[in-house]
Amino acid sequence: MMEQPLLSVRHLSIGLSRQGTQLPVLNDVSFDVAPGEVLGVVGESGAGKSVAGAAIIDLLVPPLRRTAGEIALRGDRLDLMSPRQMHRVRGKRVGFIFQDPMTSLNPVLSIGKQLKDTMRTHLRLGSSELHGRALDWVTRVGLPNPERILKAAPHELSGGQRQRIVIALALCAEPEIVIADEPTTALDVSVQAQMLDLMRLLHKETGTAMVLITHDLGVVAKMADRVAVFYAGRLIEIASTRALFQSPRHPYTAGLIGATPAPDGQGGMQVVAIPGAMPGVDALPPGCAFHPRCPRAQADCRTVVPPLVVLGTGEAACLHPLPERTAA
Amino acid sequence: MKLEGVDVKAVSKTFGGKAGAFERLLGRTPRGLRAVRDVSFSISRGEVLGLVGESGCGKSTLARVIGGLLEPTGGDIAFRGVKPRLQMVFQDPFSSLNGRWRVDDIIAEPIRTHRLRPKGEVAGRVAELLEQVGLSPADGVKYPQAFSGGQRQRISIARALAGEPDFLILDEPTSALDVSVQAQILNLLRDLQSRLGLTSLFITHNLSVVRLMADRVGVMYLGELVELASADDIFTNPKHPYTRLLIDAAPDLDPIDRTLHPIPGELPDPSRPPSGCSFRTRCPYAQPLCAETPPPLRWEAAREVRCHFDLTPKSLSVPA
Ligand SMILES: Nc1ncnc2c1ncn2[C@@H]1O[C@H](COP(=O)(O)OP(=O)(O)OP(=O)(O)O)[C@@H](O)[C@H]1O
Ligand SMILES: Nc1ncnc2c1ncn2[C@@H]1O[C@H](COP(=O)(O)OP(=O)(O)OP(=O)(O)O)[C@@H](O)[C@H]1O
Ligand code: SF4
Ligand SMILES: [Mg+2]
Ligand SMILES: [Mg+2]
Repeated sequence: MMEQPLLSVRHLSIGLSRQGTQLPVLNDVSFDVAPGEVLGVVGESGAGKSVAGAAIIDLLVPPLRRTAGEIALRGDRLDLMSPRQMHRVRGKRVGFIFQDPMTSLNPVLSIGKQLKDTMRTHLRLGSSELHGRALDWVTRVGLPNPERILKAAPHELSGGQRQRIVIALALCAEPEIVIADEPTTALDVSVQAQMLDLMRLLHKETGTAMVLITHDLGVVAKMADRVAVFYAGRLIEIASTRALFQSPRHPYTAGLIGATPAPDGQGGMQVVAIPGAMPGVDALPPGCAFHPRCPRAQADCRTVVPPLVVLGTGEAACLHPLPERTAA
Repeated sequence: MKLEGVDVKAVSKTFGGKAGAFERLLGRTPRGLRAVRDVSFSISRGEVLGLVGESGCGKSTLARVIGGLLEPTGGDIAFRGVKPRLQMVFQDPFSSLNGRWRVDDIIAEPIRTHRLRPKGEVAGRVAELLEQVGLSPADGVKYPQAFSGGQRQRISIARALAGEPDFLILDEPTSALDVSVQAQILNLLRDLQSRLGLTSLFITHNLSVVRLMADRVGVMYLGELVELASADDIFTNPKHPYTRLLIDAAPDLDPIDRTLHPIPGELPDPSRPPSGCSFRTRCPYAQPLCAETPPPLRWEAAREVRCHFDLTPKSLSVPA
């Protein structure tokens, strides 16, 4: 399928220890990201999107722990690296952007210092060159008056301006891939569209691959090359963005699209609710975790855990998948 | 007697701005933050009026003034017919329910306070309300902590309905919820709306949600109402540049046309609104006049628009 994946995640499982037992928060998840590709990761709150992202860069903290799986970046096994080696990979080879800009920014250091420190650590550059690059990044992320911004502290900037700086910080060390966890969720629609536009522009310029975690289907429709759908700690469907929206194969994916209020093409507006709620990690039903809510469920769904199998151009984990819908 | 309508008349709300002892000593008056500026509209009986706008544009402040939780700095609220029984539902289903109370007591509280039912019928009414919002009467003995976000929002709605409101204010009732749960709550609210004919004010920052829920929609920007029209007109034929840009800015689910339509610039500091038209600093159509004169609210058929110009909405798009 894919020539040489940039990032390869194989059989990743994450456990949550609670009172001496391990609860599976992520269960046997495998996916690849090609060089320069944008992989969207969607699913409802608690599905395991963020823990998967955090596991890639070894940022899981107890009570969460990787219990199985291999993670390779251009063949280098991140899961076998020492904390010191991982520290060098983070920022340099893998950048990250989180929902709350203040988790990526140091509140007491100026923007300029933070940009320069990041580039000094990861790129071998002299002081004069660092300043020029920092100015350049502030300009590239669309902020006016870059000299003033470099001197500013994070609290002197608006929320939108801060998120632009976080994007600059994630990209300035020229990483091979960026993990972006809900990068626009805290922003208003108007600023969100600006930020997505900016990320897309920089993505084109730098060719950096991206794992874009979001619960907003509109964001992946506009940004992602492929989309991975998570449900209750499992990867339940992965396909090209176009195929996923045109012809979802897993009933949950179809349900998620139907539940998102969006214009229906005839100028109307519709939502179709999925009944029930996603089970918590401590109450996973046997068989397919979606079966209590699934309109297509049969008796076998209550006992058999559906494996992820190739279906058309994508993959889905469902015993009774939806038929392929071809474009009219 | 029934509630015939709600009239919001020239309501303003300014926070701060009154000189404290220290400022008086220095002979300074601090600048007030005009969160709501001269907003007028009416809601007729049985109608759902939607309010949209970006974070900080004054939606919640206006809701709290209308709900009587905040005193307006100017203007007033008039209820036609009777003084209504009013209930509010808020965004956060976690902090808005008292965790020390059982769910049936939470729901019974407005019934008891307003003595809406004889004592012997309260329990039956609570069970009926729980069923109406899609929970089971057996859930009444549990505490809010035992429920998910969507279920808690159902409890908030049951509590609001328990007060037999003639007027319901919903402030971002689904913003904290996942889409699949949001869809359930929106469908529940639509169903209750059509069965009970509730008059309501529905606040959200999500344009698709307001389109689904509201009969008419008001668009706010920096404390002002910039457009008010039927939901159909707002979405198919918006007249204010901000309305148009706001609709286009939200990414739809079309994976083929991937153009993004950001609104340029950022929301100005609400304590220092621009001169003239509040939107002029981000408006692709601004002219010198816009910086000089605040546009008056213009009436056009059943629509109100606060813009100097008559823009053909089809031609409106953000210049590349
Ligand atoms: N630090 C933690 N301690 C205990 N449980 C956790 C912790 N972090 C995550 N979890 C649990 O792991 C599961 C997956 O969480 P995760 O944060 O990955 O979800 P998500 O898909 O990112 O959701 P959201 O859309 O809300 O961000 C959830 O059940 C969550 O409750
Ligand atoms: N109690 C208060 N004291 C001072 N300023 C306030 C107070 N409440 C709100 N504000 C300010 O008034 C303005 C309007 O706030 P409001 O909460 O009404 O906005 P909103 O449209 O509801 O935003 P959101 O979508 O974020 O809920 C904001 O600038 C806010 O900071
Ligand atoms: S495996 Fe069965 S229950 Fe699960 S999604 Fe497919 S049809 Fe539904
Ligand atoms: Mg998350
Ligand atoms: Mg609000």
